[in-house]
Amino acid sequence: MREVYYVVNQLLGCPPAANYPLDFMTLTLRSTLFMIFALLSACQSSTTNSSQSTGGVSGAIPIGIAVAQTSNVALLGQEQVAGAKIAEKYFNDNGGVNGTPIRLVFQDTAGDEAGAINAFQTLITKDKVVGIVGPTLSQQAFGADPIADRAKVPVLAPSNTAKGIPQIGNFIARVSAPVAVVAPNAVKAALKINPQIKRVAVLFAQNDAFSKSETETFQQTVKDQNLELVTVQKFQTTDTDFQTQATSTLNLKPDLVIISGLAADGGNLVRQLRELGYKGLIIGGNGLNTSNVFSVCKALCDGVLIAQAYSPEQTGGVNKAFREAYQTQFKKEPPQFSAQAFTAVQVYVEALKAVDKQTKVAQKSLPELRAALNQTLLKGQYESPIGTISFTPEGEIVQKEFYVAQIKMDASGNNGKFAFLK
Amino acid sequence: MNDFVSTYGFLFVSMILGAMLGLSLYLPLMAGQLSLASPGFYALGGYVAAILSTKVFQVKEPFPIALLLLEMLIAGIICGLLGVIVGVPALRLRGIYLAIATIAFVEILRVLALNLDVTGGAVGIFGIPQPFQSPIEYLWIVLPLLLISMAFVYRLEKIRVGRAFIAIREDELAADSMGINPTYYKALAFTLGAILAGVVGAISAHFLNTWNARQGTFDASIIYLTFVLIGGSRTFLGPVLGGMVFTALPEILRAIADTPGLPVWLAQFLRDGRLIIFGLLIVIGTRFFPQGLVTPQLLKRRSRSQANR
Repeated sequence: MREVYYVVNQLLGCPPAANYPLDFMTLTLRSTLFMIFALLSACQSSTTNSSQSTGGVSGAIPIGIAVAQTSNVALLGQEQVAGAKIAEKYFNDNGGVNGTPIRLVFQDTAGDEAGAINAFQTLITKDKVVGIVGPTLSQQAFGADPIADRAKVPVLAPSNTAKGIPQIGNFIARVSAPVAVVAPNAVKAALKINPQIKRVAVLFAQNDAFSKSETETFQQTVKDQNLELVTVQKFQTTDTDFQTQATSTLNLKPDLVIISGLAADGGNLVRQLRELGYKGLIIGGNGLNTSNVFSVCKALCDGVLIAQAYSPEQTGGVNKAFREAYQTQFKKEPPQFSAQAFTAVQVYVEALKAVDKQTKVAQKSLPELRAALNQTLLKGQYESPIGTISFTPEGEIVQKEFYVAQIKMDASGNNGKFAFLK
Repeated sequence: MNDFVSTYGFLFVSMILGAMLGLSLYLPLMAGQLSLASPGFYALGGYVAAILSTKVFQVKEPFPIALLLLEMLIAGIICGLLGVIVGVPALRLRGIYLAIATIAFVEILRVLALNLDVTGGAVGIFGIPQPFQSPIEYLWIVLPLLLISMAFVYRLEKIRVGRAFIAIREDELAADSMGINPTYYKALAFTLGAILAGVVGAISAHFLNTWNARQGTFDASIIYLTFVLIGGSRTFLGPVLGGMVFTALPEILRAIADTPGLPVWLAQFLRDGRLIIFGLLIVIGTRFFPQGLVTPQLLKRRSRSQANR
């Protein structure tokens, strides 16, 4: 006991106090254990600060990636990490920013608001990044983006689709098209397949922010297309039994069912609707836009329509390189989240190139560089994996190409793919 | 130093908020009631502040501090009233049954928040105006509040009401036969905890910029319970210390992972395995410090040994 106490004191640089009573020692030991953690972190952060606090950016240009690498949102976050890493390699191999390489700094946001704010703070003040890509969820963005906006650091959201994200501030923009733009495409595609559709039923997960805003768009689209909205049913993402919703939906004899939910609940709902004898078309929201649903509804997934902001078959040169890199690494088609993360990094790199042409990036102070980067990136036009994109002055993405895919399952019901409709 | 403050300013304030949430769970526990309702009142207080500041008070930024204090007061009153309404019937239950009832209460509030229009459904309320320029300035509000509530609980442990709480905790039947009205004191302890949680929620809504139904959940209940159990459930210093340490721990591990010179695999583990380490420490903590890190004996022995010197 005494030895441990002595060592701890040595570590903290305190004078040895061998004649302290033992009880006092135990108390001190407990609190010291915590102090060590605190001091360790304090010491190391002050050393990194002193080395970087002067001047602007020297060496590789740091870009922050703050997405959910842990927690229940990590499935999406990991896809974003993959996309961003491929972008780092691709652009550095192609000369970086006029010869200067970029360096991605990853900070995990986990799944909550406080985690996102902590990650943003660390990136802004400690890692001194020029801009941030993130966070994964719109709810986290509402918490963390105002922090970055006040610090005047540009933020590009790779997957925030809720209403009001670019409006948070001048420094906030996104490369993920809002639901209001993407979702209606699926309804149009359904009408193309079956022009007889009249009666539409809408179901959504009421505890999921994304599904809630998506269903509002779907309901508006249904009204705009002069279709009859026969019912709106609610469920929870944690539900597994949807008999109530499915039966009351089927009693109204809809020609089209629109589901906004996540993979597990949405997939189960599709399965139970089919099992109860529904034969018409089904549209799935973006939450079902992942191959994870295949294992939930198996062969019954077949035919579900889903609108897409990205298609692996996009013909641009950048997408070809991206798709190839992704396929060699993961042996499957790149998902939308990876493509959007790649695009966000690309926008930063190309905007930095434009800034660098006027004045060298290394000569600018960090606040100047961040402000210039923000202004430049909103003006540019980018040939990205998700097609040709640009921004409105507010920071909203202007994307030209959208797609609708239909799930095709093989006979065994174990494997499937998204077949893109023309 | 300046960078250190701006990087960790948010964390300092979160730690103090965590400490107060620990205290709000400690108050009913003082009277021996294992209540997990704090996150519910925390969420309610946050919604009160979020709705008032975005819909009722139409003021320009910076948001006046007087109005923030007013919101805290209103949130405290509403949570206190609800605490009485919920507390009186719920506290007829004991032990694990009370815990289940309070979890159900938290769930009801969450489902209500998801279904009402005024709470913004699952998206929640965003664009909550800011009374301060940077997160660290919230210390002006939270630090005095923590000191006041600590002083309050410290005094509470010494006076008649607090003695009654502790008597009920040690033996409810004996306390009842000594003329202490258990229902009254249990409801009082529960309500005090509810008020504190509501006030903390009102600050948090501004502090996080946004408020939604994910704030007061069952997960949060368990984390707050950890604050108290690991910190120590027999003295008010326990939850305060526990709340601070366990709020800071994930961020401290993040900072250690960024230390230059660490082997890549270790840094990677510290970064991605943060929550695993967090869980391990909880297990180790309960195994070796079953009464929590700060126990009354510890404090007593310390003061005695100093007096002897």
